[in-house]
Amino acid sequence: MEFSFTEEQEFFRQTVRDTIDRMIMPKVQQLDEGEEFDFDLWHEFAKLGYLGIRHPEKYGGMDLDIISQMIFYEELFRGDVGFAMTVTMQILMGTYFVGRFGTDQIKQKVLVPAIKGEKIGTICFTEDQSGSDLAGTRTMAALDGDEWVINGTKMWITNAPTCNFCTVLATTDPNQGLKALNFYLIEEDMPGFSRGQRLKKVGSRSSTTGELIFDNVRIPKDYLLGEELGKGVRYAGEILNEVRVMTGLAACAIAKMAMDDAKQYANRRIAFGNPIAQYQLIRSKFANFWAWYEAARWYCYRCAWMIQEGIPCLNECMLAKMFATEMCLSAVDEATRIYGGNAFAMEYPPQRYFRDARFLLYGGGCHEVLQDYLGRMYLRED
Amino acid sequence: MHILVLVKQVPDTEAIIRAQSDTQLDIENKYALNFFDEFAVEEALRIKERVGEGTVAVLTLGSKKAADALRRGIAMGADEAFQIEDPALEEVDGYTTARVLAKFVEGRDYDLILCGKQAIDDDSGAVGPALAQFLGIPYLTSIVELKIAADKREARAAREIEGGREIVTCPLPALFTAQKGLNEPRIPQVAGVMKAMKAQIEKIDLKALGLTPEEVGPKTKIVKYYPPKKRPPVKMIEEEFPKNVEVLVKILREQEKVI
Repeated sequence: MEFSFTEEQEFFRQTVRDTIDRMIMPKVQQLDEGEEFDFDLWHEFAKLGYLGIRHPEKYGGMDLDIISQMIFYEELFRGDVGFAMTVTMQILMGTYFVGRFGTDQIKQKVLVPAIKGEKIGTICFTEDQSGSDLAGTRTMAALDGDEWVINGTKMWITNAPTCNFCTVLATTDPNQGLKALNFYLIEEDMPGFSRGQRLKKVGSRSSTTGELIFDNVRIPKDYLLGEELGKGVRYAGEILNEVRVMTGLAACAIAKMAMDDAKQYANRRIAFGNPIAQYQLIRSKFANFWAWYEAARWYCYRCAWMIQEGIPCLNECMLAKMFATEMCLSAVDEATRIYGGNAFAMEYPPQRYFRDARFLLYGGGCHEVLQDYLGRMYLRED
Repeated sequence: MHILVLVKQVPDTEAIIRAQSDTQLDIENKYALNFFDEFAVEEALRIKERVGEGTVAVLTLGSKKAADALRRGIAMGADEAFQIEDPALEEVDGYTTARVLAKFVEGRDYDLILCGKQAIDDDSGAVGPALAQFLGIPYLTSIVELKIAADKREARAAREIEGGREIVTCPLPALFTAQKGLNEPRIPQVAGVMKAMKAQIEKIDLKALGLTPEEVGPKTKIVKYYPPKKRPPVKMIEEEFPKNVEVLVKILREQEKVI
């Protein structure tokens, strides 16, 4: 058994880290406080080519291995979480169905500019009454001659205020639950497409989130993204493993940043005549974090390796996402305790990690749903 | 235009360094391309882009970790990379490095050689000038601007001096050492990073250069490493202004004896 990064992967990590340190780190506070998507930064970042890491070279991508992609996500989330969310949405869910099922014409029109950052994409699962419960999807798709007609409203959509195209989950028959779900491509200039309210969020505030409304949007027949009708949920499942490992590594990155800041603080903050790092109760926080962090991080990379090797790992990826997220939520909480009262002030960083980490609970499946499913899987008697 | 850039992988500025013994350092495993070398690589690439033809090669002397400096150069856009590696080159000084590099350069056709004004680990700043000396070519150190004449036979460089700038010209080939301010180094594109990850780096040992360890032995010897003294805690002067100034002057004069 060999379980380590190659020299090349280490070099890749170092280069990505340096890029994030130079380009994103100096702007983190400003991005969070501004609560706006930074188009200039987006275009500057897109020029480096990272938006294409998951896609084939034929369309301007890099076709990078899964481990290196995960290294990229982990380093990316050390910087601004909102910006990282927009980037990961573009690379993973926002372009996955177009890349996998789109015709060559669609790929030229949508995927190629998305890889260059000229178009922003997103995916629309959630509605006001359904999220993890996909069977509750109410957005309708009906075939009318050579066109699909889409009607419905999607909520909690990352990039809703800025996206140029979106992949929309819709049902052909709400009574058939999961069996009638498919994905459809919709572009912003199509009649009937509109943007609804923008949501004010607790964290990841530089990525804008909101509502998209489809009112009799007519799309060509080949804008149905999938080879077979009714297989939407299965197709989604096939990318969710990557999304969950990415989310797990995002959790690791946020947790490490929070505790590294806390480490500096603990070494400098004097109480009762000594730096607080010299007190055992403070030290125990770091020891506990360290153990959980290492376990979470390496389990995420184990899952990434399984994805890369083509080993089925649906349950493992759910476990990794859930475990890493819980580790992170505990770490950002402990960081605020180490900072004491200063953690309650907006001038200090712990409040940002504390707020940003909350999104991890919902992305890639909310924990109560994952726990219910995983518990069921464990209890199953073969 | 063929340009050679000398690069060095050095401990990251954040790496923890301790003196293990008088002559050995314990360095945390965090390394990066020398800060000043990055300006040199960037300038070489810009010159190649401006001239519209030629190559940029990066060269380093060092063991395993040193290859990352070359990979960084390739990721930024360098065309070729060479690593001089030999067990006999574990202990080197500026003289040894310059001698070995000179042997590499001899017989190759470079119009320009660029490097950082110093490596941030030993801060000696000797290799660039010594190499130029061995090659018998002009050198200009700590440049903040570099222009190549249309006929590519002359270079014009600027240096920052007390209160202004000094403009110097010299014939090519020549060697220049880069100072901060020369340019803003680019952030590598992922295509370059991948090229660097896959690049085969040509390794050259002393024998291949036609040198023996005895010929290039160091001329200097490290006698002792020791950490700087820890700074005493800051002492606040409690008195109100202007009394505090009086107290400060008294301390500086009588206790610290610096004025």
